[in-house]
Amino acid sequence: MDNHLQLHLALSNTSTHNMLKKRKFDESFSDDEMTSNKRTLPLLIWNDNRNLDSGCVDVEGDAVVGWPPVNSRMRKVAEHHRRESTASNYVTVDNGGGGGGLNWMYVKVEMEGIGIARKVDLGIFGSYQALTATLMAMFGKRREMYKLTYRDKEGDWLLAGDVPWERFVRSVRRLKLLKKVW
Amino acid sequence: MAYSFPEEVLEHVFSFLSSDRDRNAVSLVCKSWYDIERWCRRRIFVGNCYAVSPEMVIRRFPELRAVEMKGKPHFADFNLVPEGWGAYAYPWIAAMAEAYPFLEEIKLKRMVVTDDTLELISKSCKNFKLLVLTSCEGFTTDGLASIAANCRHLRELDLRESEVEELSGHWLSHFPDSCTSLVSLNISCLGSEVSFSILERLVARSPNLRTLRLNRAVPLERLANLIRRAPQLVELGTGAYSAEIRSDTFSNLADAFSACKQLKALSGFWDVVPSYLPAMYSVCSGITSLNLSYAAIPSTDLVKLISQCQNLQRLWVMDYIEDSGLDVLAASCKDLQELRVFPSDPFGAEPNVSLTEQGLVSVSEGCPKLESVLYFCRQMSNAALIAIAKNRPNFIRFRLCIIDPQAPDYLTLEPLDAGFGAIVEKCKELRRLSMTGLLTDRVFKYIGSHAKKLEMLSIAFAGDSDLGLHHVLSGCDSLRKLEIRDCPFGDKALLANAAKLETMRSLWMSSCSVSFGACKLLAQKMPRLNVEVIDERGPPDSRPESCSVERVYVYRTVASRQRLDMPDFVWTLDEDSSLRYS
Repeated sequence: MDNHLQLHLALSNTSTHNMLKKRKFDESFSDDEMTSNKRTLPLLIWNDNRNLDSGCVDVEGDAVVGWPPVNSRMRKVAEHHRRESTASNYVTVDNGGGGGGLNWMYVKVEMEGIGIARKVDLGIFGSYQALTATLMAMFGKRREMYKLTYRDKEGDWLLAGDVPWERFVRSVRRLKLLKKVW
Repeated sequence: MAYSFPEEVLEHVFSFLSSDRDRNAVSLVCKSWYDIERWCRRRIFVGNCYAVSPEMVIRRFPELRAVEMKGKPHFADFNLVPEGWGAYAYPWIAAMAEAYPFLEEIKLKRMVVTDDTLELISKSCKNFKLLVLTSCEGFTTDGLASIAANCRHLRELDLRESEVEELSGHWLSHFPDSCTSLVSLNISCLGSEVSFSILERLVARSPNLRTLRLNRAVPLERLANLIRRAPQLVELGTGAYSAEIRSDTFSNLADAFSACKQLKALSGFWDVVPSYLPAMYSVCSGITSLNLSYAAIPSTDLVKLISQCQNLQRLWVMDYIEDSGLDVLAASCKDLQELRVFPSDPFGAEPNVSLTEQGLVSVSEGCPKLESVLYFCRQMSNAALIAIAKNRPNFIRFRLCIIDPQAPDYLTLEPLDAGFGAIVEKCKELRRLSMTGLLTDRVFKYIGSHAKKLEMLSIAFAGDSDLGLHHVLSGCDSLRKLEIRDCPFGDKALLANAAKLETMRSLWMSSCSVSFGACKLLAQKMPRLNVEVIDERGPPDSRPESCSVERVYVYRTVASRQRLDMPDFVWTLDEDSSLRYS
């Protein structure tokens, strides 16, 4: 491959000269395109298991350095918002009262067949998975036996999981775990 | 035959030329024009502080009044340039303070500025008027105190996104009572409190104040009184936009806003309580620029605000706006020229908001003047990009960041080559492009063929081989800045296009496949390029020459290639082609 490469200072502007150079270059790579020259990329580990209870996560430790390309100010803002949304200052009103930032709240959770309802603080979860896992642990049941449903602010009962998490949390008013019927 | 115009006449003619390009062209006409021009040039822009030396600038232009300079490469914003790399302002300021006692304006970007530097400016330049520090670092509030105390005619102090070590909030009190000349004050980057009463008095005695950007620590309850003292404001950056919900606070604020008849730009908005947004509604119809980059505002409230701003030209917002909000933007703001959408949860694996490629498609459809976009999202398709290109061939800047670095077209799972190809093909005036997603060498072929006006290109995790880089370097006629990270580009393309690099300001490549041997060869062949190997693993010659370097930064320079301030992780080639490091 190397004998195709000649280091031209390319000071001349003649198009034939450039064309020649280009063709040689192309030729030297036509084989390469067949074989895979693809670099293996650094392993991307998205920080999905971040400890949502602690305020501070060092995201650089897990993710790729400098990715996504947001500057340090924006990163701090994002971190602050994330912490705000998991901080323990909640109001137990339905419409999510005053205060700063996005408001989180406690919702009542019932499980079919169990008399006593519980309350969960939705703010400490970042995903459906985390919520469901905790609920199952709370009630001491197996996950595959139940499906999670919720009542939204319009009063409708829906199956949880269809809308993005953030939108879900803003609209959910009550949770109910129903036994799956086979 | 000789020109009979006396010098004074030519000088007078040249005084109408403000653009650097025009002045540079004029100075190439003949020796006498070169000489006349250099004596009457008052403003200079140095795009790379290492491309030329202070002595050379001073020798050529003896009567400068305004200097603008940039230091670190753009990727320094994302922590890709190690701490201590360089870009120190002091040597420049020291030389210029002596040579230009009448220096009035200094604008620095991504440079290290110390308190000594600031003190030197404040004491040497009696007529100093304007200091803008964008993304700079290295100074404390003591340095700011010197500027405040000594610059009697200060008009602008703008700290943009700089990092300041805050020793005290009392630096503001160093502005003497006699200082009434302030036109612009931007302290939005400061984290801690500044003395509020001092700030209020300063604002009250500055009748020419047009731009006031406060920092987060200024509480909303005090904003009303502050802006009441400056109803002539054109640009306002609020502090924290949250307070207990009280009707008197609200009406006070609403009244204060309604007195500001000239307000065109709003920013700030940390910690927003949406109920207070309507206090601004009275000024919205005049607003042309709205910066909500730090504001966590739910989409419904954002929409209410934006639909009041029919004359909006620039919007910077977080992705809380969602596709639905962008639909409203597209319908309401027909004058929109620039849109930036920032990610609220850049490190989350799952989407936290409903913002997709559809939002960008809507805006490109609905806003005929849209020419500049920076968009963070989590999915993209070729179809969407093609639609966007067709809708909006007038793009000048197109920067797309898909959070997952190698995301394919989410509908077809193909690379996004066709989509970005459409962008460069249709948008003939495109000057800046940033790409992400799954991209093969094909996209670079499109770019090389079509992007003839492209000046700056940012690439990450893209391409298959050196052919990609070769297409760009050989095809993009107007290219000035190229920054690349994590791409399989190596020696061949670089060496085959060595001459091209001298026509550009700079090339940055990190985590690519450029070998140390190629860096040496490039530096040997091209004496007017500085080839900096930036590698924190120790001397490159302790490893085989074929080993890839961590980072290489290549820039043209007429100054010495051995800058004296290199840290121990930067290597360049000496005159005798030996490896040189500090």
